[in-house]
Amino acid sequence: MKKILRALVLLSFFTLHLSPLMAQGILGGHVTGNIQLESQMSRADSTIGAPDVPQGILMNARADVLYTNGDFSAGLRFEAYQDPLLGFDPQWKGQGLAHYFVAYNGERLSLTAGHFYEQFGSGLILRTYEDRYLGIDNALLGFSAKYRPIDGITLKAVAGKQRYFWSLGEGLVRGVDGEMALNSLLPFMAESKLRVNLGAGFVSKYEEDETIAAEAAGHILNLPLNVGAGAFRADVGFGGWNLQAEYARKGQDPSALNGYIYRPGEALNLNLSYSQRGFSAALQAKRIDNMGFKSVRSQTGEMLYINYLPATPRQHTYAFPSMYPYATQVNGEQGLQADVMYKIKKETWLGGKYGTDLHLNSSVMTTLDTTVIGGRGTEGYTVGNGTGDLLYGDLSFEVARKLSKSIKVSATYLYQVFNPIVENEHGSLHHNNAVVADVSWKVSKKHALRFEAEWLGSDSRYDPEAGETDRRAGDWVMGLVEWSIGSHWFLSASDQYAYNDGTGNYYNLSVGYTRGATRLQLGYGKQREGMLCIGGVCRQVPASNGLTISLTTSF
Amino acid sequence: MKKTILLGFIGLFCFAACDKIEPDQYTVATSGGSGNGGRWSNGGTQCALVEKYTGPRCVNCPNADVTLDSLHVQYGEQLVVISINHPTGQGEPFPNQPDMRTEAGTAWDQYFGIGAIPAAYLNRNKAKQYSGSMDNLGSDIGALINQDPSIELTINADGDTATRQIDITVSYHIYDRLEGDITLTLALTEDSLSYRQLHPSRGIVNDYIHNHMLRDVITDTWGDDIPTDGVAGESKVKNFTYTVTNPDIKLQNCHVVGFISYKNDRSVLNCNQAPVVINQ
Repeated sequence: MKKILRALVLLSFFTLHLSPLMAQGILGGHVTGNIQLESQMSRADSTIGAPDVPQGILMNARADVLYTNGDFSAGLRFEAYQDPLLGFDPQWKGQGLAHYFVAYNGERLSLTAGHFYEQFGSGLILRTYEDRYLGIDNALLGFSAKYRPIDGITLKAVAGKQRYFWSLGEGLVRGVDGEMALNSLLPFMAESKLRVNLGAGFVSKYEEDETIAAEAAGHILNLPLNVGAGAFRADVGFGGWNLQAEYARKGQDPSALNGYIYRPGEALNLNLSYSQRGFSAALQAKRIDNMGFKSVRSQTGEMLYINYLPATPRQHTYAFPSMYPYATQVNGEQGLQADVMYKIKKETWLGGKYGTDLHLNSSVMTTLDTTVIGGRGTEGYTVGNGTGDLLYGDLSFEVARKLSKSIKVSATYLYQVFNPIVENEHGSLHHNNAVVADVSWKVSKKHALRFEAEWLGSDSRYDPEAGETDRRAGDWVMGLVEWSIGSHWFLSASDQYAYNDGTGNYYNLSVGYTRGATRLQLGYGKQREGMLCIGGVCRQVPASNGLTISLTTSF
Repeated sequence: MKKTILLGFIGLFCFAACDKIEPDQYTVATSGGSGNGGRWSNGGTQCALVEKYTGPRCVNCPNADVTLDSLHVQYGEQLVVISINHPTGQGEPFPNQPDMRTEAGTAWDQYFGIGAIPAAYLNRNKAKQYSGSMDNLGSDIGALINQDPSIELTINADGDTATRQIDITVSYHIYDRLEGDITLTLALTEDSLSYRQLHPSRGIVNDYIHNHMLRDVITDTWGDDIPTDGVAGESKVKNFTYTVTNPDIKLQNCHVVGFISYKNDRSVLNCNQAPVVINQ
């Protein structure tokens, strides 16, 4: 452990003092990159459910280096998980060269060989991406081409296998996509207020046959080896109005995700928005039916997804409103989100001297109205026209106002209904009320303070003997103070306390130092167990009790 | 012309890269497990014991069931499975649902230090733990059952529904000299149990069918000692009588699973199972 700490100190010195020297030309090209290190020391704490960490110290680290020379670029990424932080899949354990690529980016043609990320439309049929905080990397290793034969038309083609921790998934992914920008393509639309983009894509995965037992005794599944998914999309704008629509359909794809059923998949995403100065409104509708699409049929978890199905509800940022986040239900969901923002004009009685921002948001998600007709080796279920069961609903209202040149305040109220089945847990609906007050005060040119107070009231209860083991349950209060000193130092203290069920007192202290593009942060305290969700994709975060170290730099 | 060729290529790709299977062909009949192709050695065969740790609140456990059902199709009778209900967390029963936790299962669970479920062990080899989608379990079973057995185990179980008594006869024959003391463990498992289970694609399934569930251990939790010289050619027969006291257990759905292990590291030498045959 001493060796690791010594290495951390050395790395901090290196990144703080020497990294500016590294951004220099090499062979006429340009080298850029970044280094990130997250480390954790935690000890067992039965009151909050923190596990013992026999390794003493855990670490996720990575270094990206990109070389660019004209139209040519090449990059690599070294990653080390020794051992992975709490909550990350133990299969991440290891270190090595995780990514490498070479690319040519010409005016009309772009080619990439190696690891790459790609997205068709909104990702309903293809989106490979990485999120280091979720522990997800679905990069394709293979070839990617992008061709722009004329202005207004973009064609893409990809082929490869997906990253699976330190190896590759067995499935082969192939895809083509085309997009037309009519305003660039058609001369008579060049100056039109009507903006139209159309696109379509098709993705196929190939996987070898395997033996999967059907539910019918003495039978095995006759598996499709090639599974295809296609999508059409349109993006239409006129003045302040904008409509984005995408429909996707997937062929028979019996997999562990859907219980090995043969029902085709479907997804529809509609987003209508309007904006003008001081006002915006958006309405989003989504319906997903059996659209989980992975390159390996037997895989569950968050790795090896070919497509991406974003969450419809708003992703809240404050601690208590985001305590019960919504995770996309890839096997079936439908819902709506409405969002309205309005700025009350300044120098009015309601708006005050600087104006007042109002933000209203609401969403509702339900299951599909399904009737089960069979298990493995059948169509699985039929879908009726009903709304199904409630999965999630929320209504939030936020008011933000600048009181003076140095003080800004905001207040948020949230009502939320949460079905634990969203997290694959059993239980009754949770009804939550949350209130947040946030005050930012720029004390002087060098000093700034931020205060945050939150309250959460929930009818969920912590009762292990009755099988209710969720430590987020009950009623909570929280306070937070942040102090920024100049452009270098940052101090923060917070405490979350479950005052009803007594599931824990979670205090945290942290100090950060920033110099140039380098930031070092130390934290000490208790982390509440829960779910971390980004864009509807979630990772369970176990409780922890101890020290965290974070170091990031770029050059 | 170029555009036509390009569109034609894309159309061909889309058409060729998507298989469609008619509803009457979703499944095909199988003739049963091929095992190791009928490979027998010294008159005996090596079987694989998979202890699977599961729980009704474990959403990914049904996927482990699919994996093991599929391996059963592949390896037939050479695969012996015991499903053990994890004692806490996701293993806890739903309200008003049967409790499948057993004293022996909890002891085994603690021995292996099971944290997350589903989890599985092959032949009680602590280095062979499987979790989640049970990667490599199939290939490891395939490699194991192709080995020559050092011991053969045969089990017969006759049950009486009136007295709820099971008469068990176990015979074993040693092929290779053994390296230490051995134990015999007999367990009672039950199939076709219908109770609530969290499911990855169907939410809460009230009538999920659970198979191979451990109901009790007939011998000592860690097996009964077998006095043996451990030399090749030695054969012995042991008889057991066991009365099923739990009224919820249906004898006709039960198997008696037996395995012989080394006493020191508890690694399994061979295993077998027999259905409880009901005497009318």
